[in-house]
Amino acid sequence: MIEVKHVTKTYGKKQNTFKALDDVSFEIPKGASVAILGKSGSGKSTLMHAMSGLDRPEKGEIVIDGKDILKLKTKQIDAFRSHQMSFIFQSFFVQANENCYDNVSLPLEIAGVPVGQRRRKIEAALQAVELLDKKKSRARDLSGGQKQRLAIARAIVNDPQILFADEPTGNLDSVTGNVVEKLLFAYNKNRGVTLIIVTHDPDLAKKCDMQIHIKDGKIESITGAKS
Amino acid sequence: MKVRDIVIRAGRSLRQAKARTLLTSLAISVGAFTVTLALAAGAGGQAYTDSLIKNNGDSNNLSVFAKIDEGQNDKPKEYGSQSESAKQGILNDKDIEKIQKIDGVAEITPEYNISAAYMTRGDGYKKYDTNLSIKTDRTAIPLAAGTLKDNQIPAGSVVVPEDYLESLGFANATDAVGKTIVVHIEKPSMIVGGKSTDSKDETFTVAAVDKKSATVLRYQAALRISPEDGKAIYEYQTAGRPGSNEYYTVNARVESGKDVKAVQESIKAAGYSVFSLQDLQQALFQFINIVQWGAAGFGFLAILASIFGIINTQYISVLERTQQIGLMKALGARRKDVGRLFRYEAAWVGFLGGAIGTFFAVATSLLNPWIAKSLSLEKGTDLLQFHPLTSVILILGLMLVAVMAGYFPARKAAKLDPIEALRTE
Repeated sequence: MIEVKHVTKTYGKKQNTFKALDDVSFEIPKGASVAILGKSGSGKSTLMHAMSGLDRPEKGEIVIDGKDILKLKTKQIDAFRSHQMSFIFQSFFVQANENCYDNVSLPLEIAGVPVGQRRRKIEAALQAVELLDKKKSRARDLSGGQKQRLAIARAIVNDPQILFADEPTGNLDSVTGNVVEKLLFAYNKNRGVTLIIVTHDPDLAKKCDMQIHIKDGKIESITGAKS
Repeated sequence: MKVRDIVIRAGRSLRQAKARTLLTSLAISVGAFTVTLALAAGAGGQAYTDSLIKNNGDSNNLSVFAKIDEGQNDKPKEYGSQSESAKQGILNDKDIEKIQKIDGVAEITPEYNISAAYMTRGDGYKKYDTNLSIKTDRTAIPLAAGTLKDNQIPAGSVVVPEDYLESLGFANATDAVGKTIVVHIEKPSMIVGGKSTDSKDETFTVAAVDKKSATVLRYQAALRISPEDGKAIYEYQTAGRPGSNEYYTVNARVESGKDVKAVQESIKAAGYSVFSLQDLQQALFQFINIVQWGAAGFGFLAILASIFGIINTQYISVLERTQQIGLMKALGARRKDVGRLFRYEAAWVGFLGGAIGTFFAVATSLLNPWIAKSLSLEKGTDLLQFHPLTSVILILGLMLVAVMAGYFPARKAAKLDPIEALRTE
């Protein structure tokens, strides 16, 4: 369960202040799939950064499983992110010079997973996105869809509780986009992992259990939430 | 992150920027090369000086002279204010007795001035002019054949130069050992150019054959005999003459285990001038040290220059990999991990530079025979001598320097805001 309570984030100083998030509050049940919808500049990315502890709003609380992550020290948030959360980005951010295996290995290395346990996890993750045969291929030789699948493998390799996806299909054509969507939703349903998708694509948002519409840093509406 | 993982990732990043890595480490390797070479030449120089000293003198031997006025005052001295020996620059038996009593002096041998009329192998053989010298010290001499116990010539024996062998009719050096040589001694006339008053033959057994060596600085072919025989000949040649038992130089042997410097000081205090081989050795070593550290200094300057290269390279690397750093941080990598990644990369560059420089420096030791030849040093002399420990310390030092150079770039990477780093627009 993720509870966002009265979160406010301001950018800039003095006269030039700009409220990216203005008193935002909502709850996401465990294992739900949620779309955060909004136009560019609406504050949806800032909200994702705040929920993942990458950004620190000056007001409010973000309580994940009973713990306010904004009260944690940097080191603890880092550890929290490396063990509980994962990210998928619009531009993939796979390491082009590394092979698929090493790309997927990165989160395990950061989390300090013992060397002996890594191979099994990495191969399982690559298998899940059907890239096991590309294990030794360099990421730069992959197609766009394959790169995003590789990014998904990297995101799920350490069994996260929360998966953030920032415009996961934004750089993909509809066919490969569909494959990626299916992978994400299947993972969400089968593992009970909370999936939070930031998007401006209403079709993708409809496939989620819950939609949070953001406009000018404020919540416009929340649909699909179980009350 | 585990250190192992960071080291591997750092190595991988460097491999992906091969040209840049290589160029940066080449800059360091210039310094490493120069320093290694300077130290090697210094070590070789010291070793060579050591062997030079050993072959030219005996460090336990002190040459004692009459007190030489240090020349600070050229005014005439009052009559009777100076000792007789000091005035004449000559040492006599009284002086010898006095020096003998000084603590730490084992034995004392004057430098006898003797000469031989000719040498021959006996009746029916040709006669040859020869120099006759006495071996009083225990300097090691390079031998072609035979052995000398403690580098001393036993009484009744002679050491023959290799160059004499053919004339004396020996097939080779080994053939000569054990054979006898007759030396004809004349008692010189009191009148200059006059005929000798008396003469006799002395027979010596060849104990060893000595050979020329590039490390012996003043080599003079001569028959060398023991101090005992030398003294007998001296007494025979000077008996009843004025100036007998007066010497310019006497050799004092320091008891083994005693401090040569201390004995030298006590002889000096007794009113004599003393020269020891250690004085020379010290002066030479000091000179070598100055040259060595001077050359190494240029190497350190080169290393200093290369530090800026490392800093520059690492800054570029941080800029290039902004996105990777952002991703790592988003995935929960700590500041410390990111900083380490870049510091280890710098360490790799330092290691590579040190290794390349050391490799090429050690490779130049292949030139040792050529250097020895062109400087006409003793064959087999290695003027460049490498010590693995020195190289290991140098490489570790360079890694440390590189890590320090990489400090600011690594800090920049560690401080990078992941949100900024991952902004694609």
